[in-house]
Amino acid sequence: MNDLNKKLILSFLIVFFLGTVALFTLREATESKIRNLNVVSNVPSFELANFNGDIFTDNNLTNKITILSFVFTSCPDACPIMSQNFSILQERFKDSDLIQFVSITVDPEYDSNDILEAFSEKYSNDSNWYFLRGDINYISTLSEKGFFLSASLLPAGHSTRFVLIDKQKNIRKYYEGTDDAAIMELQNDIVFLVNEKI
Amino acid sequence: MKLRLFYNSAVIATILSYLLIFIGGLVRVSGAGMGCPSWPKCGEGWIPPTNVDINQINTTLAWIEFTNRMFGVILGISIIILNVIAIFYFRKNHTLLFYSILSLIFVVINGLLGGALVWFELNPYIKTAHMLFALVLVSILSYICIKSYKMLNPNIFQGLKNNLILSKSLIFLWILIVIEILLGTGLRTGIELIVIDNPLFSKSDQLDALPYYKYLHSILGFGLLFFSIYINYNLRNHPLLLARQLAYFITGMIVLQIFLGEMMIFFDLPQLTRLFHTWGSSWLVGVIIILYNCIKNE
Repeated sequence: MNDLNKKLILSFLIVFFLGTVALFTLREATESKIRNLNVVSNVPSFELANFNGDIFTDNNLTNKITILSFVFTSCPDACPIMSQNFSILQERFKDSDLIQFVSITVDPEYDSNDILEAFSEKYSNDSNWYFLRGDINYISTLSEKGFFLSASLLPAGHSTRFVLIDKQKNIRKYYEGTDDAAIMELQNDIVFLVNEKI
Repeated sequence: MKLRLFYNSAVIATILSYLLIFIGGLVRVSGAGMGCPSWPKCGEGWIPPTNVDINQINTTLAWIEFTNRMFGVILGISIIILNVIAIFYFRKNHTLLFYSILSLIFVVINGLLGGALVWFELNPYIKTAHMLFALVLVSILSYICIKSYKMLNPNIFQGLKNNLILSKSLIFLWILIVIEILLGTGLRTGIELIVIDNPLFSKSDQLDALPYYKYLHSILGFGLLFFSIYINYNLRNHPLLLARQLAYFITGMIVLQIFLGEMMIFFDLPQLTRLFHTWGSSWLVGVIIILYNCIKNE
């Protein structure tokens, strides 16, 4: 075998080896993304009311991909950013009727239906974003026991995390609602859930 | 003996830098760029966590990105060794010393650009700069390799006639290849930006949404093919076998790149094809530098 042939065979083997390693790595990366979206828990039963008076229960989550958060309208720091991020996601997924957004107020005493409606008009551009209210103790328990999100010293002590819920009412993952990188991750995960075959 | 040591060290640094471009490409296509959410540390510690925690970082992606960083460090060490040899033994050979130091500067800058990529959450312009600096680095290292190889084997290169047109053609080809790679990186960035605003777009929607410059990449690709055939034709009777082989390699690699590029559009094999499309084109950059210096009589 001459020198050139040896070099060609060696090059082919190296490329083949690198290709195999790359293929394995890419498969692992894809699977790790799926693993990261494993079911955390089921959504608990709940019943709250939208600002227009409509009752909204956990059954409204069936066959929808839902992004849920706890906010209050007079919150100075995190909530405007969180709501702005909801707004951005709502715009980006406007062509899909599978996706909906839920914001639950942790200050129902101040956040009357009128105030929630005004808040909705400020941030929401579509009808797939629900602003819910109910009894403060009920919401506090729902946050802590139902969604595993801290709710001490409400309203200021609410969690700033977003909850991603799949079409079968499973909690799949949490995201820091004020962090741009986390929002990008959430966006990619929503696409994954849209394409997920059950 | 000293020269052979220097040459071997340059070859190792060059191979490592190509390997690093491959791993860097793997980070990009696997979406592991933010696998380590901080830099230079990976999350809380210097090494990514091994336990799986649902709310913490994705450990698989963290390890992919961490491997990239480790290889960067290994490449850095190999270039430091190259510099030590150059400073000790080749202080009077200004070319070898100058380009060794230049390679060290470029590897440090590119390491910092890798850090900036994490700080600025994969900003597309920093991504392009990171790629461009990697291409310049492999060009410098390839130049050091061929330069020291020629010093090591002066007989092979004796009596060569300079061909000014051919040399200029090769410089022109190198510039065009770099532009072509940057156009390709630009296309990928364009697609990524479209996907951010339109996450549910299909692949054909994404391609449709790209502006007119998507055709430039393909057109220039075919232009490069004809240009490399022209260079091959002019080198057909060159006395140096190595020069003829390198010219064949360049044309062959351009054909392969066009094939891989079209595959990405017409078939659904995106990740691995993308990886080899990027990596293969980075080889062209270094090989042209080697060919240019191969046929040059000094």
